[in-house]
Amino acid sequence: MASTATSASTTNDPLEPIPLIEGAQTDESLNSSLLNHVWRLPGKGWWTLFGLALAGLGLLVVGITVTLWKGIGMWGNNIPVGWAFGIINFVWWIGIGHAGTLISAILLLLQQKWRTSINRFAEAMTLFAVICALLFPLIHTGRPWFAAYWLMPYPSVQGIWPQFKSPLVWDVFAVSTYFTISLLFWFLGLIPDLASLRDSSKKPMQKVIYGLFALGWRGSGRHWAEYKWAYLLLAGLSTPLVLSVHTIVSFDFAVSILPGWHTTVFPPYFVAGAVFSGFAMVVTWMVPARQFLGLKHVVTLKHLENMNKVILATGLMVSYGYAMEHFIAWYSGSQYEFAEFFEVRMRGPMAPVYWLMMFCNVVVPNIFWFKKARTNLLIMWVTALLVNVGMWCERFNIIATSLHRDFLPSKWELYAPTWVDWSIYLGTIGLFSTLFLLFLKFVPAVAVTEVKELRHELAHKAHGHAEEAHG
Amino acid sequence: MFWARTPYARASQTPVEQPLEFDHRHHTRDEGIDCRYCHNTVDKAPFASIPPTQLCLNCHSQVWNKSPLLEPVRQSFIENKPLVWNRVYKVPEFVYFNHSIHVGKGVGCVTCHGRVDQMAAVEKQTPLNMGWCLDCHRHPEKNLRPVSEVTNMTWHAEGDADETARVLAEKNDVHTRTSCTTCHR
Amino acid sequence: MSSHDQDPPQDHPEDHARSTIVGNGASSGSTRRISLPIVDEALAATEAASGAAREQRKYWRSIAEKEGSPKLAAAATREFPPGASELPPSDVSRRSFMKLFGGGAAAAGLAACHPPQEQAIPFVRRPEEVTPGNALHFATAYGVEGFGMGLIVESHEGRPTKIEGNPDHHDSLGATGRYEQALLQGLYDNDRAKQLKHKDQPLTWRSFLGQMAVLSARHAADGGAKLRFLTEPTASPLQLELRKRILEKFPKAKFTSYSSIAGDGAADGLKLAYGKYVEARHELTRASVIVSLDADFLGEGPESVRAQRQFAAGRQTGAPMNRLYVVEPALTVTGMSADHRLRLRAGDVAGFALALATELGRRPGFAQLAGIAGAGRGVTAGDPKWIGAVASDLIKHRGQSLLIAGRRQPAAVHAVVAAINAALDNVGTTVTYATPLLADPLAGPKALVPLAEEIASGQVDTLVITAYNPVYTAPVDLKFDKLLARVPTTVYSAAYEDETAAVASYVIPAAHVLESWGDARATDGTVSLVQPLIAPLWAGYTDVEILSAFLGEGDLGAYEVLRRSWAAKQSTVPGATAEFDQVWEKWVGDGVIVGTETAPEAALALDGAAIQQGLGALLSSAPKGGGIEIAFVPDYKVVDGRFANSAWLQELPDPVHKITWDNAALISPAMAKTLGVEVERDNDKFSVLVIEYKDRRVHAPALIAPGHADDAITLALGYGRTGAESVASGVGFNAGALRGSDAPWFDRGAQVSLATGMHLFGLTQNHWSMENREPAIATSLAEFENAHSEARELIEERRSELPVIHEPHDYSKEQYKWGMTIDLGKCTGCSACVVACQAENNIPTVGQEQVVRGREMQWIRVDRYYSGELEDPEVIVQPLMCQHCETAPCEYVCPVNATVHSDEGLNEMVYNRCVGTRYCSNNCPYKVRRFNFLDFTSETPAVRRLGMNPEVTVRSRGVMEKCTYCVQRIERKRIDVRVAGRLIEDGELKTACQQGCPAGAIEFGNLNDPKSRVTKSQADERRYDLLHELGTRPRTAYLARVRNLNPELAKG
Repeated sequence: MASTATSASTTNDPLEPIPLIEGAQTDESLNSSLLNHVWRLPGKGWWTLFGLALAGLGLLVVGITVTLWKGIGMWGNNIPVGWAFGIINFVWWIGIGHAGTLISAILLLLQQKWRTSINRFAEAMTLFAVICALLFPLIHTGRPWFAAYWLMPYPSVQGIWPQFKSPLVWDVFAVSTYFTISLLFWFLGLIPDLASLRDSSKKPMQKVIYGLFALGWRGSGRHWAEYKWAYLLLAGLSTPLVLSVHTIVSFDFAVSILPGWHTTVFPPYFVAGAVFSGFAMVVTWMVPARQFLGLKHVVTLKHLENMNKVILATGLMVSYGYAMEHFIAWYSGSQYEFAEFFEVRMRGPMAPVYWLMMFCNVVVPNIFWFKKARTNLLIMWVTALLVNVGMWCERFNIIATSLHRDFLPSKWELYAPTWVDWSIYLGTIGLFSTLFLLFLKFVPAVAVTEVKELRHELAHKAHGHAEEAHG
Repeated sequence: MFWARTPYARASQTPVEQPLEFDHRHHTRDEGIDCRYCHNTVDKAPFASIPPTQLCLNCHSQVWNKSPLLEPVRQSFIENKPLVWNRVYKVPEFVYFNHSIHVGKGVGCVTCHGRVDQMAAVEKQTPLNMGWCLDCHRHPEKNLRPVSEVTNMTWHAEGDADETARVLAEKNDVHTRTSCTTCHR
Repeated sequence: MSSHDQDPPQDHPEDHARSTIVGNGASSGSTRRISLPIVDEALAATEAASGAAREQRKYWRSIAEKEGSPKLAAAATREFPPGASELPPSDVSRRSFMKLFGGGAAAAGLAACHPPQEQAIPFVRRPEEVTPGNALHFATAYGVEGFGMGLIVESHEGRPTKIEGNPDHHDSLGATGRYEQALLQGLYDNDRAKQLKHKDQPLTWRSFLGQMAVLSARHAADGGAKLRFLTEPTASPLQLELRKRILEKFPKAKFTSYSSIAGDGAADGLKLAYGKYVEARHELTRASVIVSLDADFLGEGPESVRAQRQFAAGRQTGAPMNRLYVVEPALTVTGMSADHRLRLRAGDVAGFALALATELGRRPGFAQLAGIAGAGRGVTAGDPKWIGAVASDLIKHRGQSLLIAGRRQPAAVHAVVAAINAALDNVGTTVTYATPLLADPLAGPKALVPLAEEIASGQVDTLVITAYNPVYTAPVDLKFDKLLARVPTTVYSAAYEDETAAVASYVIPAAHVLESWGDARATDGTVSLVQPLIAPLWAGYTDVEILSAFLGEGDLGAYEVLRRSWAAKQSTVPGATAEFDQVWEKWVGDGVIVGTETAPEAALALDGAAIQQGLGALLSSAPKGGGIEIAFVPDYKVVDGRFANSAWLQELPDPVHKITWDNAALISPAMAKTLGVEVERDNDKFSVLVIEYKDRRVHAPALIAPGHADDAITLALGYGRTGAESVASGVGFNAGALRGSDAPWFDRGAQVSLATGMHLFGLTQNHWSMENREPAIATSLAEFENAHSEARELIEERRSELPVIHEPHDYSKEQYKWGMTIDLGKCTGCSACVVACQAENNIPTVGQEQVVRGREMQWIRVDRYYSGELEDPEVIVQPLMCQHCETAPCEYVCPVNATVHSDEGLNEMVYNRCVGTRYCSNNCPYKVRRFNFLDFTSETPAVRRLGMNPEVTVRSRGVMEKCTYCVQRIERKRIDVRVAGRLIEDGELKTACQQGCPAGAIEFGNLNDPKSRVTKSQADERRYDLLHELGTRPRTAYLARVRNLNPELAKG
């Protein structure tokens, strides 16, 4: 701690660990660097990205329209491959969401200082990822107009209820809770910053809007006290979610009897995978964002390095998961399990996906054993991208590959996605980007209040040290 | 959720206009004609069936055979064009309701159709939704009566209702089923 | 919302529009009554609705009215066709009612959106026997090759909705084949010819009759020297009678029977052997050793349904089993059922026959065969060891063995086979010979040649064609289309506006068999009366009416002609002594006229000498020389093209090769290698071949067929149609384009090369091997009898009850516990069950593209596995539908309770609750669930919907479906017996597949009844559960197939 404290001063000794806040910052300077971009018109870079994002969003709209108009038949699904892109992308997005909750909640509870300047960013990603994820379970059903509410337990005049034995019903609860909590957590964190935006806004309209969302925040001591409590509480609430959500998502597969799904290792290994892909996604966005938004001084290499460490750790957990799957497949003595892992996946028609997954998730992350890689922006960015790809392949492998060849060889069929599949998938990336860019534009991407707090904390500690030195 | 429980949503309790002023009150109460005289497949088929014109004329060729009210009936018979009635009771396509088994096990007409003998124009009396069907399929006793009394609009169990119900269920060999395919195939 | 959409949930009162066709629709439908003009408009509109607007139809009506045709005028007011008034009262009302109802429902079907206020339309006069909502059953008969199979047709409010076999009928025994099951598709088909035309000008029936009268007057002048009739091969007494009377009137006229799939070898061969034409009849029950020489007697032909039942009877362990040897070029249904199979090119079968004769000739007591074999001049084929073994086996079972030669084989082979059967004393026991029932013993492609010559030499002025589509089916070298153009007057009875209709001068829309009066004979001679189930949906006329037009007896109508002829013949029927009206009613009711069967010929002398000298000639003319052999087969689905417009049959996976919507050039794996055929098995893609033969060539996609003879190609007929049939056109290639009248079945000397590009097949199964998982267990009798053999242990291990985490409900307390057994020993893979199921359960067809994507909808999948080496594999078939697991994996994963278990152990699928997550299918280890990926039903033309089963909901888009054990039948039967106050007895309730199965391989019933057939069969020692190790406790059990191998040939 002490060491980091000094970093508040301007010294930049190479022996010093990378600081959490660079340069001499005052509340004002932080305001200007972190809040004022809201008042400025966004630059070219932003507009280009936003254009691309909107295009992606267009794809999504087209894809969904076609699906609802003609039916699921427009996708590549068939019998036996009843689930494919829809569920693959659902799991992928949900996974990505996890980083945010982990960073903001768990690290908060663990009082990890380095989380401060990236948590807002990560929480936003969680929120948007979950929104993308939520689309899929709905539109992948044959009759969404019923699925939308027949899965909800309510006293219907039909006198029947959902089937609580089904993991899909658990999903409904898990994911909707996750969404609600994430939203609240994110919004609560925003309130003080919204308030300061309200105060610093020039036009009345802006004042009104930000004012509304600031919920009349005055920054009084009482406000702060309540705020701290609420924030802590929500952190406490969302912590178990990090584990529960993906555990339950993994039940979608684990409770089935399908070779390649019917696996007890799924819950832990899904959670690890989720954090793995989540952090990768944060890095993927953080690296460019800190460039374009001038956040270098608050989102320092140290933050990025720490995240890369997490990626490495979770990557190893995932690899262990794979190892276990294969071991059990052999050890169980079930010919179906064995065939699934050692024939269908490794040598079947969809083997390329399997090997790509192995490369991206098992081999690639190991590069982070080296500090050079952990601190090199380009390397970490590429690695993060590969991990995202790898985790998508993992889901494809688990879902489509397992399904296309199961018990009876007579009903083995190939699976090939259609253009609708692709446009919906890319479309959700578009949706995610759109939301994200808007977020970057209209609210501070960094929790300014917390950073100020941190700065004071550090400054204070530094001061304390100085005195000791004298005394 | 609540809307679906209102009679309006179920289009019930509203008399349905018919092309010709047929009055059940007159036929059943005043003339004391048994339901099964006209709805004569009710005990052997899924459908109670709306009587053919011919059947109307069994009587009305003799009585009221000049009445202008009955002109459409006579026309129908002469021109061999059916009378077109407006449906009052209708269950969805995927529901396979069978009158014969219900009548055969002692479920009275009045139980589902209400006091038709008091309706000028027939109206839907019961919600006809799945919860309502299940109510009875789960506890049929309260709606049972001697098979001989099914068309009786005013029958009431004498003495201990529950006891009668139990006895009837026994006697009529009632085994209501709640498996989905009982009604959905 | 269209008619078959699921209803919205009860909570959502909005959009309640729905059809009157499916489900409850029957109620409003059944009580619907609309008079004839409306019917016409309805149907006209129907056509419009289905995209095939027929303007001229209306136009034609107006002409008719202008002409003031009494018949039509009458038709417009009268309800029933002439003759109906003579019917027993019930029939009157039925027929009239049908006509009216047909329109009514069609009209209903038209109305895409009803007003929210629905209407209920009662009868004016309700026919006595019609009880709205209760089905009626009527007997009739139909057959493809001149003989008629007895049928029982189920009718709902006058619409025929399901076809079953007539248990009292000799050829049916209660079962049916694929084609009978698909008849409804032919009836409710918008592509049917609807318009009587002369040179494309609409014509009324009356004016047609007038013109025919003029015509026959002219022909009468020269005794009909230039009048010719080309008919289907037929044994119908009425047709024969008409024929006789026409020939009396026109002594010089000629009749020709023709069917492109009729084989002439048998008739000629037996004539050679016995000095006169006889028909062979087979009794497989008495045969313990059967040798088939290229004879697919289980897969096709009028005897096949009966043959399957009889053959299956001999496949039970614990009783003496029969043994089947098959010699054939390409795998057939019969070949798949063989205990020993020898692959030989069709042209080498003759050699095999002679070799077998020679071999037998060497054995003591068979000298007479030696001579015959001698005439063979050492033509021989086949592995001597094999032949030796067969010979000894035959001798061992002298008198209870049977040789059958196929329709494709030349007279020589049939003669030799006759000789061998005689030498083995089989004549009179397993095979009998009877005077031909068919009008002409010779009716194959060769029979067409004389007629063609006459036409060519201008000796034909009028040609009346009631045979199926000769322009398409005739051998190409006859150039029949050109010939027809040269005949001044051609009258064609057209089921469709097909290739022949395009060139015929008079096109008469043919009445469908379910719209016709007539009669037919079974293969044993028993007569069945053909009665209509519905009045012609469009104007339709029977062959009888067309032929009688030349008798100048006025327009009697088929009914009157038929009835008069039988009134006259009553005395010839033993025991039919009562008043004719009663006798008639009984005949029509029973569907068979008992006592009309014909006895086989008693003492027939085999003329060995004749065979000897006949053989020489025949063999010299037999195909010789090298080169690749091309051989043709009638297709298992469209036969010779006559069923090509039936989507059910087009989409039915070929029993052997699992092809849908296509035909292929079947070649052996070895040949594929030498040709360099490319295969993308996972994508069902194969190279295309160019086959050149004489001056003809076709492009044909290759399909590698394990067990196919080398240097030979098998081509299925009936595809590549160019008629106006919307379903048929553009499907497959026309193999007939290679077919010559000189060698209609097979010949050598074809040149084969690779064309560029690959062909995409709609195969429903592209993985051949069982991957050592043995879902379908087959073993040899020897192994099976050894209680410690591998096979036995495998079976044992798959029948014990596995423990489950929480015990399912105890079903033994229930009244019923439904279960099914499928006997792989009996199942031949003929696939009749698949069509039967499709008809019963309103299963949609999806088209080739969707099949390619793996979205076929048939609830029954007949899996076919090869084992052993690919060149000469062992084959086993396994019908697979929902197994109704007691601990069903599909149920606990459904989030909305759309698939649940009933108190009687049925795995219920509730369509209207399903939201389509497809998790159930993912978790189904048998993959027997089918999903409506797209809207497969709303395009169904209104007229097709008439044939749908009102007892079964039509599923909407996005809904899962699967086999229900025909729960609609269970529930209806339950209600009936409970109203009657008793229990369902064993055997009175059958599933559609069970009822249709010719082999009787499927048992269904109450497992709580210790005496029920299904309980007994599940106790069989061959019984095992599929994927038993998963602990799903399926209610459907399988009986392992036991091959009765000949020890001398048993491998290793």
